[in-house]
Amino acid sequence: MRGLVMAALLVLAPAASAEDLITYEVTLKGAAFDIPEIKVPAGKPFIIKMNNRNAAAAELEAKELKIEKAAAGNSSIVVRVKAMEPGKYLFVDEYQEDVAKGFVIVE
Amino acid sequence: MIGALIIVFREVIEAGLIIGIVLAATRAVAGSRVWVGLGVLGGIIGSCVVAAFTGTIAEFFNGFGQELFNATVLAIAVIMLAWHNIWMALHGRQMAGDLKQAGDQVREGGRTLAALAIVVGTAVLREGSEVVLFLYGVLISDGGTVKNIALGAVMGLGLGAVVSALTYLGLVRIPTRYIFKVTSWLITLLAAGMAAQAVSFLEKAGVTEILGNAVWDTSAVLSEKSIAGRILHTLVGYSDQPSGLQFLTYLGTIAAIVALTQLTTKPHPRMA
Repeated sequence: MRGLVMAALLVLAPAASAEDLITYEVTLKGAAFDIPEIKVPAGKPFIIKMNNRNAAAAELEAKELKIEKAAAGNSSIVVRVKAMEPGKYLFVDEYQEDVAKGFVIVE
Repeated sequence: MIGALIIVFREVIEAGLIIGIVLAATRAVAGSRVWVGLGVLGGIIGSCVVAAFTGTIAEFFNGFGQELFNATVLAIAVIMLAWHNIWMALHGRQMAGDLKQAGDQVREGGRTLAALAIVVGTAVLREGSEVVLFLYGVLISDGGTVKNIALGAVMGLGLGAVVSALTYLGLVRIPTRYIFKVTSWLITLLAAGMAAQAVSFLEKAGVTEILGNAVWDTSAVLSEKSIAGRILHTLVGYSDQPSGLQFLTYLGTIAAIVALTQLTTKPHPRMA
């Protein structure tokens, strides 16, 4: 039963995720993001696209934004973030989290 | 080195706990360790395959292939856990008295062991692919720290194995007449937590927005991403900001497994 529901949801998935959310793009090269701060409006879901320009894989992580997603070397990923309260939220490449940092500023 | 240790350990805690619980739950069943071993092996192979295809998987479903993949893998694990619990409740009782059916049951038992091997395999697979990606990145990077990072990673994996061992050893200390009940409940909660997590992946992929607001926020008290948070997340499905749908799915899964177990274990006259 649960499996059927899941299967149905999987079929519906492409249609549902095609909605028009604003996409904010950030590029990881070496141990740094090209944009240290991404500004987004409060109260609206949005999409972050991370381009990983390294040969090594990366994992975009932002605890408060509930992002945790791996990106293969030289590839891009998108993550969907739910509507957030105003604030400053840290995101990192988890594989080099001490150095590769950026912030999402929700205002 | 410490960084690599923490990254790898964080990823393997969940699989470590699950392996420990499955080993304890099937301790008395012949051949269970072989099945668990096969599950781990299959999970590791699967991790390498998924890691190799991460870029491809990510491109499916408008970029949300990974989320849907994870949700599917979790859903499979939930079904396997539920099946095992129901089967054990049904046959555990019969096994005591009925020698005639014993042969069939051993074979059937093998079947639910296969289900649990799948659970173990999917647990390893989900986080394992990230460990593989991380280690592969270390291998191809030319920094002089490769050896240190590799050492840290191996230690992280070792700590994961320690988690497995501690979980198993802790559970088998429970007196025999309670252990079945305890592991049944652990498996039920494990399944409920996984079902809720599957929903969270569907939410991340934008598949569903129904009841999407957080029912509570305890991230300041106990972050889901801390080590303690991760352990609780696996064991009882703890989430610091669960959506309404996740919460309902959690409760619904527990109710479904308990109800199905009750239904199937009611004495059936036709069995005679």
